[in-house]
Amino acid sequence: MTNDNFDLKKEIAILEEDCLRPTRTFGRSTQIWVGALLVVIGWGLYCFIHQLSHGLGVTAMRDYVSWGLYISTFVFFIGISHSGTLVSAILRITKQEWRRPITRSAELLTFVSLCFGGIQPIIDLGRPDRIANLVIFGRLQSPLIWDIISICTYFAGSTVFLFLPMIPDMALCRDRLTVVDSRFKRFKKWLYTFMAIGWTGTKSQWHRLEKTMNIMTIVIIPVAVSVHTVVSYIFAMTLRPGWDSTVFGPYFVAGALYSGSACVILGMAAFRKLYHLEKYITPRHFDLIGRVVLALTLIYAYLNLNEYWIPAYKMATAEGHLLSDLFYGSYSKVFWTCQFGTVLLPILIMSFPKGRKIGPLVVTCIIIAAGAWVKRYLIVVPTLLHPFMPIQEVPAAWSSYFPNYVEFSVTAACLAGIFLVITLFSKIFPMMAVWEVAEGIELDHDKKVAIEIREERVITDETELARIATLKNGQVTPTASLNETL
Amino acid sequence: MKTKSTINCMHFLRGIALATTFTVLFGGSTGAQNDSKPLLVCGVAKTQEQEPVKEKSEATIGLSYFKKADGSKIAVALIKAKNEQRKFAPAKNARVGFYAGQGKEQKLLQSLTTDMKGEATLTLSNNLPLEEDHSFTIVARIENDPLYQDAEEKIHLKDVDLKLLLNSDDTARRATVFVTETDKDGKPVPVKGVELKFYVQRMFGTMPGGDGYTLSTNEKGEASFSYPKKLAGDATGLITVVVKMEDNDQFGNAVAETPVKWGTVLAVDKNPFPRALWEPSAPMPLVLTICILFGGVWSIYAYIFVQLRKIKTEKINA
Repeated sequence: MTNDNFDLKKEIAILEEDCLRPTRTFGRSTQIWVGALLVVIGWGLYCFIHQLSHGLGVTAMRDYVSWGLYISTFVFFIGISHSGTLVSAILRITKQEWRRPITRSAELLTFVSLCFGGIQPIIDLGRPDRIANLVIFGRLQSPLIWDIISICTYFAGSTVFLFLPMIPDMALCRDRLTVVDSRFKRFKKWLYTFMAIGWTGTKSQWHRLEKTMNIMTIVIIPVAVSVHTVVSYIFAMTLRPGWDSTVFGPYFVAGALYSGSACVILGMAAFRKLYHLEKYITPRHFDLIGRVVLALTLIYAYLNLNEYWIPAYKMATAEGHLLSDLFYGSYSKVFWTCQFGTVLLPILIMSFPKGRKIGPLVVTCIIIAAGAWVKRYLIVVPTLLHPFMPIQEVPAAWSSYFPNYVEFSVTAACLAGIFLVITLFSKIFPMMAVWEVAEGIELDHDKKVAIEIREERVITDETELARIATLKNGQVTPTASLNETL
Repeated sequence: MKTKSTINCMHFLRGIALATTFTVLFGGSTGAQNDSKPLLVCGVAKTQEQEPVKEKSEATIGLSYFKKADGSKIAVALIKAKNEQRKFAPAKNARVGFYAGQGKEQKLLQSLTTDMKGEATLTLSNNLPLEEDHSFTIVARIENDPLYQDAEEKIHLKDVDLKLLLNSDDTARRATVFVTETDKDGKPVPVKGVELKFYVQRMFGTMPGGDGYTLSTNEKGEASFSYPKKLAGDATGLITVVVKMEDNDQFGNAVAETPVKWGTVLAVDKNPFPRALWEPSAPMPLVLTICILFGGVWSIYAYIFVQLRKIKTEKINA
């Protein structure tokens, strides 16, 4: 047993080293990557300032399409923020042991996508300086106010949910990382000390942490569901063809979970490869989360069918015009590519074990993420171009929409912002919850020990029975006796 | 040796040949192209200048005169022109000149452009040039319009006065109208045999007051109509009686209207589910639901914060 203890400690020490290693380096490739992201962000910022100073007229949005790429991106980012809830909270609450190495990246993705998703409606405003009026003079009966309230609540909850499991890790960083000579040593020391909130790992502290984490795990799930339901209300509570739907709440939640979990897989694959975490994030993890994505894609496909099949059967006047445009009009190519390419094809791929191997799964998840983004665009834009009152007496260009360079640049800057925050986070904090993974290793070890003890007992019993049988001149067969005993 | 004139002639022919080649190769200015977009030819932008002269459309004018209930007068010209299918359709952006008087004394009142419906509406002043019998002439004319052929329409009318008398206490709900015109001496004279129609104003138009709602004036210039008892009024029982003279050859169109409490009181049922977005404050059930749900969640956050404080203070105590 002494030998076992030694191995376990060694394994945990290796784990700690593997998790803390990326936080000590900021290599050439990282510098180039961060520099490239900053260039994209800088250009996007310039375009946004151009938009601020000249008004929304510099975008492709006009009177009819006033929610374009920005609001589509808002819905997509809020959608992928569901990843943290799904992977972390749902798997935590169902006690799925394989969740341990991937919860941190999922929670981080939630936090970052909420940050950048939340600012999209502000970017979409012609006068963002008046945003405070929405709160000051806001009307509680407006879905926009519900949206602000629920997103703020979810953001606060996600931040706490990300922070709580980080506390023991911050203490570890505080105690271990600062010993090594690293860049921004003083800043990091202050940051780790501040974020560790005096964690010493006493029994009482562990008890409080577990209690708070259990509470947050339960609370964050309904809050997350409420957020995307309320986002769907912004559309569904407007009397417009395509949006006037009772299924929009669950449809948005399912779409969010499907795209969010796909993005978690992409994050897992990236960190596994870049930070050499192959030992902890194994092909088994990909297979298991691949099954989750498959299940979610099937649910999403079912709701998609409901969303389009029922109105298509009726083809009511205004709804019929919109659906005609989607099915065989100007949006048909994009629409059918989305339906077959990003919903049905992933289902086919992920249905087979080979499709859930790392390579195919990553490609499938890229398709899913891109498809989910385009799908949000298809929800927002075509409806705005098919109002109940026909578009008339306006310039012809106003009756169509495609984002221009300003919108693409600002959106690209937001995406680059997400990558930048994730990169910087991973260079300051461990990308796996060290104590949680260590706990998993301990549990695995305990399991192994338990199995070994059991096997030893079985062997002892079998030997004993064989001896008895020999004594009784082979009257009793050892196997049968053993089964009876068991 | 070539003479100077021969050389000039050769240069000229070479120029024509070059121009023709360019025209054939790059689609030059010949042919029926209507747009005047600049065309890029070998890196040089040139404007297609030779546009074919578009044939002017044949146009007609329908001219109407209206005297409103408040005494104001308008003239409306409806312009229709032949479209590509050779059918008359409302013509927008046609320039119409409104004139008053006849012959040499004709005076331009105003020039207006027709709207999307092909209409041009002119509000007439009270000092229109009148003839001896107190009649007046209005002419609408399209002249030298780039899109439409010249056209003219004239109306010769007399001013008319519709006086509507109602009594809210009248149980018979009788509406009486007196129609008068002005004679040479400027005195009001009753008009006999003018057709009048009796209506009730409704939200999107007028509704006939009942059976036999079209009557003619007698020799006193008087016409009376009894409105039915069960006419729906507003919340106070008010209805608006409207009397119209429509397309009269002598007087054109005229209207008289007066509100009167002849209608049944409309009892509006209180909507149990009023549109909350239009209300000054949110419905109480909604406020309570939001407060309970989100208040509950934020209370839990507060509890978590307290626990974190305890984790911190435990260390200090230790």
